[in-house]
Amino acid sequence: MKRTFPWPIALDALALLLWGLMILRYWWTGRLAVLLHPDYHWLAIGAGWLLLLMALWRGAALLWSPKSLNTPHIALLPRRWSLAVLLAVAAFGIIYIPRPFTSDTALARGIAEPVALTRSQPRRFARNTPPEERSLIDWIRLLNVYPEPDAYTDEPVNITGFVIHPPNWPDDYLLAARFVLTCCAADAYPVGLPVQLSGDREEFAPDSWVNITGTMMTDTVDGQRRLVIQPQDVLPVPEPKNPYEF
Amino acid sequence: MLSLFALAGAMSQFNQGLTLFLSLLVEATPFLLLGVAFSSLLAILVDERKLVALTPKNPVLAAISGSLFGCLFPVCECGNVPVARRLLMQGAPSALAIGFLLAAPTVNPIVFWATWVAFRDQPSMVFWRVGLTILISVIIACVFSVQKDLRPFLQPAIARQLLPPEPEPTLATATSDSPLLTRGTYLLQSTGTVKLDQPLVSTLDTAVLPSATWTVKAQAVLEMMLQEFRELGAVLVMGSAIAATVQVAIPREWILALGQGPITSILAMMLLAWVVSICSTVDSFFALSFASIFTSGSILAFLVFGPMIDLKNISLLLTTFKSRAVIYLFVLAAQLTFVFTLAVNLYTSW
Repeated sequence: MKRTFPWPIALDALALLLWGLMILRYWWTGRLAVLLHPDYHWLAIGAGWLLLLMALWRGAALLWSPKSLNTPHIALLPRRWSLAVLLAVAAFGIIYIPRPFTSDTALARGIAEPVALTRSQPRRFARNTPPEERSLIDWIRLLNVYPEPDAYTDEPVNITGFVIHPPNWPDDYLLAARFVLTCCAADAYPVGLPVQLSGDREEFAPDSWVNITGTMMTDTVDGQRRLVIQPQDVLPVPEPKNPYEF
Repeated sequence: MLSLFALAGAMSQFNQGLTLFLSLLVEATPFLLLGVAFSSLLAILVDERKLVALTPKNPVLAAISGSLFGCLFPVCECGNVPVARRLLMQGAPSALAIGFLLAAPTVNPIVFWATWVAFRDQPSMVFWRVGLTILISVIIACVFSVQKDLRPFLQPAIARQLLPPEPEPTLATATSDSPLLTRGTYLLQSTGTVKLDQPLVSTLDTAVLPSATWTVKAQAVLEMMLQEFRELGAVLVMGSAIAATVQVAIPREWILALGQGPITSILAMMLLAWVVSICSTVDSFFALSFASIFTSGSILAFLVFGPMIDLKNISLLLTTFKSRAVIYLFVLAAQLTFVFTLAVNLYTSW
């Protein structure tokens, strides 16, 4: 082959291929759940396949007609820059494994304060679900609507969340928390309920996942009167497949 | 030991930033692809001339129809400048072109859907966004329509190809079938013998291949999609990186202080919209990451102002308009957005 190798076309095809693979890999490895609300997985997966098809089309030009049909276009960024940015991000995204948010993030977002839920109109109320079937977010939504902790005294509770050790709290208190998504990780906000342990909270490492069964009570934590879980059982559990609640 | 903790904290922040960054990218990519697919298809396949012939000549009606044209041309703010320019060159009234220019990036089905997806908890955001955009676009378009002859506002290369404003609007229907631009040949001044029925600039704008076969057209559509994806993808990457960094690196107290004030929050989000220049099909995801802290009015300001004018599309606008006109557009859009969203912050409980 005497012609010079058509690098621009090859790099285009490579960038498309890597972007498609990046998205599809998150899907194959189940990490898409860390990034997106499940309702929108199909959109991302569709985009991944479309990118692969575009990569095939672009790659085909390498074999059959390496001269590109030059449609006029007003470029904002030099083509090489955009291509370099796309390639670099895709190459990184293929290697990196996205991780769900941790207790540090939740603390930085002010989860320890009782008014943790500033936004979001609840889409459903859980008042009619039996208390032991309410998820963590169901409890928080209930509290948002009717904040008096005494209203829930002695109601049974069974929730799963990750462990947070708020720095100002006594050693026998931890926070069982969960991030809530409406669209993607960008809008994740943490919610949590205090748990009063019988022993030291060091038994449960921060960010480890626990299932808590017990009853509700009212207690004063860090100067605030709050709804607190009095557990019968705190069981370590593996990280759920989908770490968020909705 | 302390530095170990600091390191662990920094690592966790870094991971958080990366998760945010990737989630914005993965959520926005499908909408970006849809946007570039539609705008490429339209650029290749649709003949705006027929649309222009159908639109009303009354400035207010033209402004309204221009701002609703986006429903037919789902383009983002990068695709709308070339289309607006083609509209102008095909004899559209200035109100129509300006209305389209400002509203099309927002008032279109893809952006509507993306905003809906992002703000599922606050569906009213979608309606506020679309309504306010139409209102502001129509106002600015009406202001511009006072200037009957837009040519002094346009770059010379484009102004040369425009007809002077028509004295009797009744002529429009009679001549709609004839190639409009040939009638302007006598306007050419010192520039020589450029044939106006082959507009100079249209070769720059369009890849319209009238007699081309379907395979060639499909090839052209894909080619254009790729070009736009390459470019807007890179802008999306940078925008997502900025959003993630702001969330992770800037102390929460600062953002809270800025984001809760009814005025500061709007100014901050408008500045952010202007700098970040993120494509309108995906900007709602970007805004979403600020929605829990910033006032609703400021999020709305971001969503309304960003698609109209930002750092990126100023360079695009300057390919068509003279800098004076771009400044007018910018100042009017900024002021109106500020006033309306401030009213939202102060007078609505939303």
